[in-house]
Parts: sequence; structure tokens; C-alpha cells
Amino acid sequence: MTPQTPTQSNHPVVTIKLASTSDELLQCYALRAAVFMGEQQCPYWEEFDGNDYSASHLILHVDGEPAASMRVRWFSGFAKLERAIILKRYRSMGLFVPFVEWAKSFAAQKGYPRAYLHGQKRLWEIFERQGFRKVNERPFHFSDHEYGAFAVELDVAEDAPSVLTDPMVLNRPEDQIDRPGILEESMERGASNPHAEWTERRMN
Amino acid sequence: METRSCSIGGEFVTIRVAGRMEDTLQAFAVRAACFIGGQDVPYSEEFDGQDFGATHLLAYLADEPVGALRVRWFQSFAMPERLAVMQRFRGHKVGQLLLERARALAESRGCNILYTRVSPGHATYFEKQRWRRLDDGQTPGARPTVALVRPVDPAKESAEIADTDAIALSTQYRLDMPALPSPSEDGYFRY
Repeated sequence: MTPQTPTQSNHPVVTIKLASTSDELLQCYALRAAVFMGEQQCPYWEEFDGNDYSASHLILHVDGEPAASMRVRWFSGFAKLERAIILKRYRSMGLFVPFVEWAKSFAAQKGYPRAYLHGQKRLWEIFERQGFRKVNERPFHFSDHEYGAFAVELDVAEDAPSVLTDPMVLNRPEDQIDRPGILEESMERGASNPHAEWTERRMN
Repeated sequence: METRSCSIGGEFVTIRVAGRMEDTLQAFAVRAACFIGGQDVPYSEEFDGQDFGATHLLAYLADEPVGALRVRWFQSFAMPERLAVMQRFRGHKVGQLLLERARALAESRGCNILYTRVSPGHATYFEKQRWRRLDDGQTPGARPTVALVRPVDPAKESAEIADTDAIALSTQYRLDMPALPSPSEDGYFRY
């Protein structure tokens, strides 16, 4: 899995990645505020509900401009996709399906066998086309919208992380787990242990 | 420091200077809702690289952030900008409260002039609050703006704001870009 999904050269360049810097995280918050608070009149404290710092955010750029974001929370046995939005001006580009597919692949790569979401009623058909099925027939509502709970089974990667995975693979940035990370480069420095006592360092 | 004045539905509107990371995030959220969501401003124009050298003011209705204003500080003036009030809380003078708080803050810092640039359609709103046009011109482009000024001290309504050269802003995204304004003859940069 690669963090970027380039399209054909004569089309806008669309990239998707795990938000991994403060700036990218702010972009996600801004997009959420624009759509949920600005368009859907959601109060601030319902949108920013206290779960942002125990979650991962995915950011989608179109030609470098933040265009869509999604929050993913990690439960035992399933990943919860939520706060998925596309900015109004980018809605006709067909970004939603590839974005959700990217999120599903990301969760599968981390070893999650199931993705779960609360879908607004108007979007149920779209989720069903992407393989999501209602977990039960009980609709519920919050923040002025009616929702249904949906789940989809994921194809878990054969090399999904386990406790027996190479520890340096687990250290890699999570959306780039298939390539060496910065900590593998640091291995060249050896276990020089600069914070230990001088005598201990000499032992190494 | 908090300013209390108008109320909406029996609840007071409180103005606060952002002092914590969370406050700043709330200001960004209000601006994103109003400008990116409401006016279709691109993200990169709204968050222009100037946010971390500025002061952010917030208006709250109880705990809910309902308005925001950014103030940038220059040697010869203070610049309130990015005035945003959530749509359903407009019409209650929240914007006026934010601007007044910015004025008082500028006064407490010994600043004499407030300067801003707004779209021509919003100029009347400011003119009703004793701002006046700096000149007759407006910037060209897709989003034209007009320059407005007002004295910080309301008693000095006719304060001299004659030195318009002092109010020349760099629109560079980063101030260390090669296109920095050249130093003037006295050796000082004018932003």
C-alpha cells in the first residue's frame, strides 16, 4: 500500500495519506468544520467530540489542496470509519468511493478484519454498493441526522502485523509499512546508547 | 480578559482572547465553517501562513464558539481580519463585539490605527462602525477588496491617517521569500 494514489497526468493529482503532521491534522479539522459546522449546522462540541486524539485521520488532496478527510478509530476487531467528508467543490469528482476503499485497505493492512460505520440515511445505497451491510435494522439518530450501523468484511493482508512481525516493520509509519522507515536508517548508528553512563557505553 | 455585552436567547456572548491551543483550533473551526464551507474559499487562501504570528479573538455563546477574528500587529497599525460569525448567530452584533474587543486590545498596546481590507460588499458594515475608506481604489482580481481604517481612540475621530505609505502590506505567503520588499532609504522594511 502506498500513501499516494497518482492519477493520469492530464487529470488533477489526487493523493491520499495518513495525516501525519500537525498541519495535515489541522487541514482535516478545517474540512470537517467547513462541512459539518458550516453546511450541516453541527455544533462545535458535537463535531469535536473528544475522540480526535485517540484516532487516526486520513487526508485527501487534489492538486495539493485539502479536499476530503476521514477519521478512523480502532476498536478490538474492527475499524470505525467516521467524520468522512468531501469539500463541496470537489464532490463531483468521484472521490468518495476510492477514499473509502483506501481506508478499507489501510484497516486491512493493519490486520482489521472488519470496517464499521454509521451511515447517514441518504448515503445508505452508496455504502451498500461498497459492500457494507447493515449490522441490524435499528436506525438511530444524533446531531440531527438518522443513521444506520453498517459493517464490511475486509481481506486481511497475509503479512498483517502480529506480535511476531519484525519489530522494525512495526516501527514504520503506518501507511508506509511496506517500505523501510526512518528508524531503520537509525540502525546504522548502532546501539551507541548516548544517555547511558560512560562505562556502559564503552561496553557497546 | 473577557468582554460581556450582548445576549442571544438569554445567553450572554463572551469575547475571549485565544490563549490555549484549543481556543485557536476553535477559531480555525469557525473560520473554516464560514469561509471554506460558507463562501467556498480555498483552504490554502484561508489559512495563509499568518495564523501563528497573530492574535485570535473568539466569541462564545455559553461554551459554543460562534465567532472569530484574527488581529495582526504591525509597527504603525493593527489589522483585524478574518471576521467570522456562524450563520445562525448572525444579526446579534457578535461581529461588532469582536471588532470592539480588537480595538480595545489595540488601545491597550498603544496602537493608534486600525486597518483592514474587506470585500466591497462588506464595507458598509464597517463604515457604520466608524471605519472609513483609506482611498477610492480596490484591489483587482477575483476577490476585490477595499482598504478601511479607523482611529483606535474614538475621541480622535479625525486622527491623521495621512501617511498611507506606512500601510503597505506584503502579501507574500512567507516573509522570508526572495520577493521581500526592499528596504526603504532609511533602511527599514515596510510591511
